[in-house]
Amino acid sequence: MMDFWIILTAVLVASACSILGCFLILRRMALVGDAISHAVLPGIAIAFLMSGTRDSMWMLLGATAFGLLTVFLIQTLQTSGLQSDASIGIVFTALFAVGVLLISLNAQHIDLDLDCVLFGEIAYVPWDTWTLGGADMGPRAVWMLGITLTVILLLMGLFYKQFKICAFDPAMAAACGIPVLLFHYLLMGMVSMTAVSSFESVGAILVVGMLIIPAATAYLLTNRLGVMIGLSVAAGIVSAISGYLISYLLDASIAGCIVSVAGILFILALLLSPSHGLIAKFARRREAQAA
Amino acid sequence: MEARKTKIGAWTALLPLLLLAAVLAGCSGSGSAQGVSEDGKLLVTATTGMIADAAKEIGGEHVEVTTLMGPGVDPHLFKASQGDIRKLDRAAVIFYGGLHLEGNMERVLEKIAAQKTVVAVTDGMPRERLIAGAEESEEFDPHVWFDVDLWKSAAETVTDTLIQKDPSNAEAYREQGERYLNELGQLDAYVRERMLEIPEKGRVLVTAHDAFGYFGRAYGVEVVGLQGISTAAEFGARDVSALRDYLVERNIKAVFVESSLPARSMEAIVAGAARQGHEVKIGGELFSDAMGEPGTPEGTYIGMIRHNADTIAEALK
Repeated sequence: MMDFWIILTAVLVASACSILGCFLILRRMALVGDAISHAVLPGIAIAFLMSGTRDSMWMLLGATAFGLLTVFLIQTLQTSGLQSDASIGIVFTALFAVGVLLISLNAQHIDLDLDCVLFGEIAYVPWDTWTLGGADMGPRAVWMLGITLTVILLLMGLFYKQFKICAFDPAMAAACGIPVLLFHYLLMGMVSMTAVSSFESVGAILVVGMLIIPAATAYLLTNRLGVMIGLSVAAGIVSAISGYLISYLLDASIAGCIVSVAGILFILALLLSPSHGLIAKFARRREAQAA
Repeated sequence: MEARKTKIGAWTALLPLLLLAAVLAGCSGSGSAQGVSEDGKLLVTATTGMIADAAKEIGGEHVEVTTLMGPGVDPHLFKASQGDIRKLDRAAVIFYGGLHLEGNMERVLEKIAAQKTVVAVTDGMPRERLIAGAEESEEFDPHVWFDVDLWKSAAETVTDTLIQKDPSNAEAYREQGERYLNELGQLDAYVRERMLEIPEKGRVLVTAHDAFGYFGRAYGVEVVGLQGISTAAEFGARDVSALRDYLVERNIKAVFVESSLPARSMEAIVAGAARQGHEVKIGGELFSDAMGEPGTPEGTYIGMIRHNADTIAEALK
């Protein structure tokens, strides 16, 4: 049962992140997950200063608020004409610095780093259960991530076309009368919610990895968004399951193994992809030379 | 439409894989009965080496103790591996430090407490003997094991828990607990004696990480740290230069590095003091959040505390 819950949690994180990751890659904002993982620090510090405890509810609240603020600022800077990588870099370093400053001024003798108070660990998921009226409802993380994934699937299902056009060609989307900015904020809002709730359940590295690697793998294999999302989710889920089995065999960190498998899948795609793959490219060049 | 079909296809293709994984993982689970080893010993899991050591001393041949955090592991930064899940799952009793020593893991331990005996060894310590953390908060410094007299309370908590969990061996636990408390009493006296060998003016312990608050208070040593309570908090440039000036001014002979932290920051301060014409040596390595390798004298709680006391006394007297 332990193993089942962990695998299920990993699969939920992988699915949610790999769907959103496709849009982030297309919009050249793949690192936004990493940015959020740092930029929530001032949220944690302020929540601690206001509540005086490191209770997880407060920490989650502070992190959620600053997660949203982070993506809002990144989107605003980008809309005002700054490159997306620069906007991400500016926002997250500045916010992280504010967090470090707040902690060093107010809470020097308290252990307030993100690893301790916010980031969860997927290994502990099965024990952190949610009880409702005395009944054990299963791990809290499964519920939280399940709801997140449902929201993502719902919004994507309803507005797939709009998200697609906004990702590829914002100018054309605007010409068609789609409120581009609204959909940008909506996407970033989903990313922020997914990132923060997954950080709290499974830790940072797994989320950041799953937001980028499966989507990048899928990007190498297809030119169609629908297929890319499908492949990305598949890569994410395969990494989650085989990563867990490997962590069992090696007695190693679960998140570490899952992300490593995702990395291996990416390398395979990089070598073997029929269109973008290095081997295919090499073969084409040889052919061209022969002709 | 085609896009959706691909997605559903991918999902259904993966379903058997998911089932296979669940079955595989399920089979590999419980080999022996929950909470008891194959030869009938009570299974005890402890987070840090210091706690595991107390459980081994007191439980003796009736318990099998597993430690989550090995030598050199900083409990604040501990990352669980897949095998640690099994160590927690199999145990009948789990001992941990509490007071946020184990960080986020504590929340999980409190949850496991609904299913099995999970005890924070600091629970029995009177709160007025604990050192407060930040102002206006209910947080305490978790490094209690450096006040040996206070740590006796942890040993008593371990004894009581084992007796309650395994009453058939109560007599043995009581006896071994008594013996261990005696040893701790002798250790406490030993550390006190060694600290008195240092001239009063020089009784200053300079280390990289503020883990020695309880040690300082219990044995009359002034403790000056470079870093805050957390091993991850960053220290300011002013902290470094202030500490260097302090060393020069008070004419302190030695500073110390710690087993679970890199020595780099302390070496920088020694170099800084040397530039001002004051010679400070690195007095040696102290054990702070973790014990030494098993099998060495420092691999036990008593050995580790003795090592620290000896190292400090030799370098400063």
